[in-house]
Amino acid sequence: MEFLKYIFNKIIYGGGIVFDLGKWLIVFLVALLIINTFFISIFFVDGASMEPNLHDEEAILWSKNSYHIRTPERFDVAAVNAPSDPTKKKYVKRIVGMPGDTIEIRGGDVYLDGKLLYEDYLPSDLKTNLDGVWTLSENQYFIIGDNRPNSNDSRSFGPVDKRFILGKAITIIFPRFRLIKDI
Amino acid sequence: MEVKNRVQTKRIAIGVYWRKLIFMSGVFAIVFLGLSSAQVFKADSIGTDLGSSGTGGYTDSSIKFFDVKIKSDGSIYIDNKKSKYRVSMVGDIEEMRIPIVDNVNKYYSNITINLELPKEIAYSVGHEELLVHSVGSPMTFRVVDKSHVTFVASDVSPLATVTPVITMPKGTINPPVVVKMLNYMLEFSATLWIIIGVSIPLATLIFMIFLVSSRARRVKIGTVVAESSLPPMALPPALVGVLYHQNVGARELAATLVDLALRKNIYIMDRERDFAFAKNKFDSRLLSFEKILLSKIFKDNIFSNREEIERRINNHLYSKKISLVTGGIYSLATRLGYFAVNPQKSHLKYQTLGIFGFFIGIGGFILALRQFQDPAYFSFFWLGMAVSSLIIATAARNIPIRTVVGQEALMSWMAFRNFLSNPEKIPYSYGNQETFQKYLPYAIVLDCEVSWARRFSEHSFEVPSWYMTNQTGMGLQDFCLSLYPIVSYVGRSMAAIREPGFK
Repeated sequence: MEFLKYIFNKIIYGGGIVFDLGKWLIVFLVALLIINTFFISIFFVDGASMEPNLHDEEAILWSKNSYHIRTPERFDVAAVNAPSDPTKKKYVKRIVGMPGDTIEIRGGDVYLDGKLLYEDYLPSDLKTNLDGVWTLSENQYFIIGDNRPNSNDSRSFGPVDKRFILGKAITIIFPRFRLIKDI
Repeated sequence: MEVKNRVQTKRIAIGVYWRKLIFMSGVFAIVFLGLSSAQVFKADSIGTDLGSSGTGGYTDSSIKFFDVKIKSDGSIYIDNKKSKYRVSMVGDIEEMRIPIVDNVNKYYSNITINLELPKEIAYSVGHEELLVHSVGSPMTFRVVDKSHVTFVASDVSPLATVTPVITMPKGTINPPVVVKMLNYMLEFSATLWIIIGVSIPLATLIFMIFLVSSRARRVKIGTVVAESSLPPMALPPALVGVLYHQNVGARELAATLVDLALRKNIYIMDRERDFAFAKNKFDSRLLSFEKILLSKIFKDNIFSNREEIERRINNHLYSKKISLVTGGIYSLATRLGYFAVNPQKSHLKYQTLGIFGFFIGIGGFILALRQFQDPAYFSFFWLGMAVSSLIIATAARNIPIRTVVGQEALMSWMAFRNFLSNPEKIPYSYGNQETFQKYLPYAIVLDCEVSWARRFSEHSFEVPSWYMTNQTGMGLQDFCLSLYPIVSYVGRSMAAIREPGFK
């Protein structure tokens, strides 16, 4: 009994120290988790499908609540849950087609509702392959990687529902600094 | 040499707040980087190294069959083994989305997925065939009978992800009650969760205010209008302070220092941009908490300047000696019958409750963030619980625990406080020359040292013998401006390093 009392006192005594030391740590941690979960986070690019604009291993700051406040916009670089495995895989792609659009890829160019889509973020000589026509429903977006010859995107797995779009990439922070909107 | 020593000493004496700040900044940086680096988003390319046949050089092709069964409770079995995936609710439909093959590094010439549905709904299900990183023909879907469908993929590359998607009408699945409740709660809007997260601490705060005020009403002493020009009893100022505040804080420690100086145990030295304490005499009548306080300031020396005091204060993140000082004050006050239970123990009870609640809340918060994604608004409930626990731990200090004896004693001291804080000036006379310094420690613990000093503003002031300064022609105002910062700084610093929970 005495021993249990001793252990209990130790826990209470130690708990006090943990509480006092831990409270600031926890305030930081909670603030960080809230920021990281609901507002701003960082991801690292893995792969070449957004070349030449985003490179492999670049660190990107992205907003998680952008698309809770407003709807995604055309040409946004977005973080997206992979439709094939949304719980594990996340993609970074560019939104090219909006709900209700008809996207057509023909002869190396992208057409939006029958008109040639001007994409100034791509090298002028870059051609978009994998021809096809996709009509998007009211809740669907068409996402494509900037590296058109080497990107796995809506051209292969189809348009994605809005629920798969997680947030908007804001800026490259490492190893260079550049706002995504300037790309 | 002396300069060198001083530089070295300065380097060691990093303040406790700075140490905490440095420590927390380090943790913050590590955790932030850790959390962020855990996320890798694929700029997913096609995988052009697979070769023209898509086999990636793999020559042994094989055919693979998967038997997938969706149970009526929403669980999914693959080849009679329970999968971690479940049927999920997506708006008005129930969806199975499961990567059957994912980057297995093996080439399959054909994959057939036989899927058994929980009901005879095969002709009414929606379907999607996701075949990523494969160069073969698209995956096909076929209804076999009322409760069986088949997905077939051919020429599946080693890097492929094969994901059949089935959407079923709402109500097809009858999940367990817990999952149902969880699904129901997860359907709450972000606004509702934020309201819940705010309401819990708000309700706790209201409850604690009610608890404190109802207890305070029970032991109410009423407004004391009487004024007494003498302390009701000869009590150490720290005990008066704990009777008044129910807590030993910076004021109680500062007042004890001034009281020790008044009783000629120590000198307080004011130097230009510096201060020091010096031992005077050894007094055998010192109370145990006073002895411990002196030992914290002086250790084995008879002189202790700011640098040494700061070093001693900052020697440890927490000081047991200061805890012994405060513990001694609490014990004395309880022994005098002022409190039904030792305030320290009473605080500890609520603090323990607060600590447990706080850690449960934080644990739930982190778990909710990890388990429920995109985004986990459910976590606001746990955050609210953690904040509520903090409110309990903090507000409980204010629950009145004075006994009738304590109330009566406090009333007497309040009458004395009325005298100390009376705005009328005290007329000068030879007899009351030393009155100011005599009652100064009591004025400090009764939160009225400034108004007490104002009562003597028309007096010619003589610097007390226990206060050593190189300033000449020091008036009362200069004295207060010089003494108060010193004692309050030392009192605050010491109160801050008390070991929490120390018994």
